[in-house]
Amino acid sequence: MTTHGKPIPQDEPVVVVIGSGAGGGTVAHELAAQGVKVVVLEAGPYLTADDYTNDEWPAFNQMAWLDMRTTSGSYRVARDFPNLPAWIVKAVGGTTTHWAGATPRFMAHEFAARSTYGEVEGANLLDWPVTLEEMEPWYDRAEKAMGSSHRHGRPPLPANNNYKVFANGAERAGYTYYATGPYATNAEPYDGRPATVQDGFNFQGDKSGAKWSTLVREIPRALESGNAELRPLSQAVRITHGPDGRVDAVEYLDADGNLHRQATRAVCVAGNSIETPRLLLMSDSPSHPDGLANSSGQVGRNYMRHLTGSAYARFEQPVRMYRGETMAGIIADEAVHDPSRGFVGGYYMETLSLGPAFLASFVEPGSWGREFTRLMDAYAHTAGMWLVGEDMPQESNRITLDPDVKDQWGLPAPHVHFDDHPNDIAMRRHAYRAADTIYRAAGALGVHHTPPYPATHNLGSCRMAADPADGPLNGWGQAHDVPNLFVSDGSVMTTGGAANPTLTIVALAMRQADHLCELLRTGEL
Amino acid sequence: MADKDSATIKRDTSSALRGGPAALTSRQRQVLVRLLRVAYPHDSFPDGPYERTADAVVEATADDRRLAATLGPDLDMLDTICGGDFLGAPDEEATLILREYADEPYFRQIRGVAVVALYDDREVWDLLGYEGPSFDQGGYLHRGFDDLDWLPDPRITEFDGEPRTEMRTPEEDSR
Repeated sequence: MTTHGKPIPQDEPVVVVIGSGAGGGTVAHELAAQGVKVVVLEAGPYLTADDYTNDEWPAFNQMAWLDMRTTSGSYRVARDFPNLPAWIVKAVGGTTTHWAGATPRFMAHEFAARSTYGEVEGANLLDWPVTLEEMEPWYDRAEKAMGSSHRHGRPPLPANNNYKVFANGAERAGYTYYATGPYATNAEPYDGRPATVQDGFNFQGDKSGAKWSTLVREIPRALESGNAELRPLSQAVRITHGPDGRVDAVEYLDADGNLHRQATRAVCVAGNSIETPRLLLMSDSPSHPDGLANSSGQVGRNYMRHLTGSAYARFEQPVRMYRGETMAGIIADEAVHDPSRGFVGGYYMETLSLGPAFLASFVEPGSWGREFTRLMDAYAHTAGMWLVGEDMPQESNRITLDPDVKDQWGLPAPHVHFDDHPNDIAMRRHAYRAADTIYRAAGALGVHHTPPYPATHNLGSCRMAADPADGPLNGWGQAHDVPNLFVSDGSVMTTGGAANPTLTIVALAMRQADHLCELLRTGEL
Repeated sequence: MADKDSATIKRDTSSALRGGPAALTSRQRQVLVRLLRVAYPHDSFPDGPYERTADAVVEATADDRRLAATLGPDLDMLDTICGGDFLGAPDEEATLILREYADEPYFRQIRGVAVVALYDDREVWDLLGYEGPSFDQGGYLHRGFDDLDWLPDPRITEFDGEPRTEMRTPEEDSR
């Protein structure tokens, strides 16, 4: 097996981090930098800039998590993409290698959704055990680490063609809070990374390194510290515990399917919101009969995927939306809690572009005929935006182990069940109308409303909750039931907020790592 | 630093059975190409992209032995319904016939392959005005990422006036 960093014996109890994306990569780097020995297990291969291709379909096959998954529920993804509930990455760096780069913060009231929104029928709202005030210094640290534009002296990105349409429409429609960021791609060289060349490929892995990811920053720095070892192509399949109730090892498969066992002092699970609960559910034992750390019964529940939806508008004149940074355009005016609109929570509008093959696959899945090809014929004259907002946590939206379908290792495939909440539907309708208003104001000939894609924002499923009855984790992402077990990815989110989640995942992981170091230092772990 | 390990994706395909690709007669293949043209009508597209998409459909039937066996007869059926000649049917009639079969598994599976194969075709990219790979040409930085000139240049920085209201309730306006 090819390994990276300083080799660590399998019988040496170290902190094991499962996953190397926004949460796992960050927590591993923070721990290693503070002298804590870490083994990072990453299910995917070690791909770097040279491996990436400016070609969306080969890149998808190279990077996407395509292991078997099944889906049900009233959302269209269940019908159109029954084995692809999420579009995330299986490679070192995780989904930070294909994220676009938008870094808005969560708002104060979003950390207190239950208190702010009140009882919403059918929603399992809860206040976070963390406030914005507590998070602010961590947000500052995360923005500096990621190099967010518009923040801490970092300059804004210039306007690309898609943004020019978007921002002009916003201005004419009466919106105020639009800009080309905050966005964690360099407008000018920063932190050893170059300025963007506006190559337009954000979801395919960045060949230039202008975009922040744990692949270009946290992972190499963790390995250089001499305290971390990265093992790619290592799929964690079980976390074991001793009679004292503490986790003591992680079992994982290498590329050939051989089982290995790494001894642990503590475990940080960061496999994204589908694999994280799946691993805990697969780690059941006589003392954890419903899955590890699942005395609440909430592991896998309250899965969120954000509102999502897109609008593609046709214009008389060319736009060429695919040129340049994909999502460097954000309108924040609708990211407000204003129940007079007929729903709680809010949403952002962000520029978006897909190449022809992806647009054809996702713009109106299953569609064909003249109506469909008219959309494609207008490709060069099309502007696009994504609608991203807070969706409601529901107990029945959950990750379970599929009793009938196995993955390539013979392990139960994760099953993702998702129904839209009426609040999600009302918000999406409002967002489509806002997109119409913006694009019509800029002169659009027509606007097409595209349904949600397979989820790129995967949240909840192992929520933080002050009361152990409400969720498996405390405010540090530490399991209520198992003191040396942590979750370090977006699974921890108690509710979803409107903002893109990566910045918050990184800030939470930094905060968790400091806490974990303190527990290790004081001998509590 | 990169190692060239690449994970082999071994998806569970137990519901389908791999075999050889469909063996189509030349007539069946012509019907398939016509079907693709009717399903994805682009006046500006020559035959090449549709021919290559038909190849991709035939190749994909190797993943599903049942589809490989039924594709030919399903294409024959289109001829039968058109009184013997799907190729000669006017576009409108051919479209209406396909509408009847929109939910048939064979047509759904053909579309699933075709929608990627057709629009991932380099000739189609040119026809649609998509320029694709750009990194090795220095990205679009000096090749028009900001060349849109039919609208004024908008502000790129955040609004520097009043901070955004984050919450509005019937009782109070508060940040």
